[in-house]
Amino acid sequence: MTYTNQSQVTTPPHTRAPHTKPSAGAIALDSVSKSYGPVHAVRDLSLEISPGETVALLGPNGAGKSTTIGMLLGLVAADAGKVTVCGRQPRLAVAHGRIAAMLQDAGLMPGVRVREIVGLAASLYPAPMPVGQALSLAGLSDVAKRRVDRLSGGQAQRVRFAMAAVANPEILVLDEPTRALDVAGRTEFWQAMQAYSASGRTLVFATHYLDEVSGNASRVVVLMHGQVVADGVPEEVSKLAGASTIRFTADARPPQLGTLPGVSGVSWRHNRASLRTAEPDTTLRALMALDLGWRDIEITPPSLNDSFLMLTQEGS
Amino acid sequence: MSYLRLEIVRMLRDPKYLALAVGAPIGFYLLFATLFGGSPAQPGQLKGTVEIMVAMAAYGAIWAVLSTTAPRIAEERQIGWLEQVRAMPIPPRRVLAAKVIASAATALPAIILVCLTAATVKGVQLSAGQWTALVAAMWAGSAVFAALGIAIGYTIGADAAYPVSYGLYMAMSAIGGLWVPPAILPEAMRNVAQALPTYRLADLGWKIAAGQAPTGASVLVLLAWAVGLSLVAYLAILRPRVRVRTRHPAAA
Repeated sequence: MTYTNQSQVTTPPHTRAPHTKPSAGAIALDSVSKSYGPVHAVRDLSLEISPGETVALLGPNGAGKSTTIGMLLGLVAADAGKVTVCGRQPRLAVAHGRIAAMLQDAGLMPGVRVREIVGLAASLYPAPMPVGQALSLAGLSDVAKRRVDRLSGGQAQRVRFAMAAVANPEILVLDEPTRALDVAGRTEFWQAMQAYSASGRTLVFATHYLDEVSGNASRVVVLMHGQVVADGVPEEVSKLAGASTIRFTADARPPQLGTLPGVSGVSWRHNRASLRTAEPDTTLRALMALDLGWRDIEITPPSLNDSFLMLTQEGS
Repeated sequence: MSYLRLEIVRMLRDPKYLALAVGAPIGFYLLFATLFGGSPAQPGQLKGTVEIMVAMAAYGAIWAVLSTTAPRIAEERQIGWLEQVRAMPIPPRRVLAAKVIASAATALPAIILVCLTAATVKGVQLSAGQWTALVAAMWAGSAVFAALGIAIGYTIGADAAYPVSYGLYMAMSAIGGLWVPPAILPEAMRNVAQALPTYRLADLGWKIAAGQAPTGASVLVLLAWAVGLSLVAYLAILRPRVRVRTRHPAAA
């Protein structure tokens, strides 16, 4: 309960491009709320995203990620608040090809070939990129003539990506793009994505895979119960959990470990100790002074995983 | 418009369409016209080869239209293609319009190929005006079944849409006099037949082939079905879709 009720634990977002007027932002959500009956999917959410940012929307199921994305595309009407995309209403931004999305449950038109369906998407947008370029960007050139219903899960997902990328949008939105993909499929997918975001475009993706955040996002926004509970560069959000871990092997179990400076917890597994500490440097100096004959020391920095678990579990 | 072009391409590519909407009526025509294609059963009636031609043209056209709407719409709803379309800059009504036009386009070859078979193989002879009127009237009349297809596609799930469409199609064809000459149907069935769009669609063709104008009753019955089914289709489209999208495990 503590976290969501507090004034949100929001770390300042990383260096943002200074913008002269509000419309310079790529995306602005201003006190937006949306309920489905008794369920508050999104409550009073405000979020600004600048051009060129790569933002991960992170949160458990039901945190409001898909609803937020639906509002960015004008598929979901907000009950209150204002959504602006590239300085205009979401539906206009879609129509002008400024924003394009890969939705979570989107299917592909059965019975057509890869090149045809990507070509169809291209024909709907005002300033598309060449279809061949979108295909090669998505790594689909080899299967361009294959029917879309005969693709692997990873290939089908990259077709969806190509259908959004071919719009040549300023903002690309991906809703859990790698859900239901195996490890190889996920790796292939993110390779394609990195090639795309290297072109300096704004990328917003929802995920609940933490390992996808650190490598692929410049900013992470953690959602919980439809609200932002953390917002910052991945390293900053990782530090919210506040604890590094020092592990080492020792033959004895000295009782004074728990009283070392900075240590908030000690646990043992066979003869290997784990110390959780907010100040690993200080703890380590004190540990060396103890002269326990420890060996195989290992220091792990705070992980996004820990922060995420802390934020989402304490919030629920 | 490329959406329409792609719709037509994928319909023509579908082997089931070619087999059931084009192949089957031609095959049945050749079979029935050979068996029953002799002189008219009663004076003033059409020759068997002509009557069966019209019935089979209707039979093919109906399935062409129905099979390219109902099961496809249901499938596209289920797999989320219509969801994908919503995220792209194309209005949903244009997507539906493209489907209906493409669907109607697939009915034309079904009608023309049966007529062509009748003319070349069985020597059916009509005036140029009759041929044109026959094809045009039956093509236009088959649009009723697009409304039926949309209504089914938006109300029934993907698994059931095909069997339901096919069952309705078969029942309405049999009772509507496409399989046996309506004249030899029992009185009670004939009354039912006259209320069905299948019978009335064929009746347009029978009258034209006999050198008459289609009866007002046939046109009215078809129009009534078209209006009624369009209304059902419209309501089915507007029906709020229940989406299990917002999972909220910790809602309380």
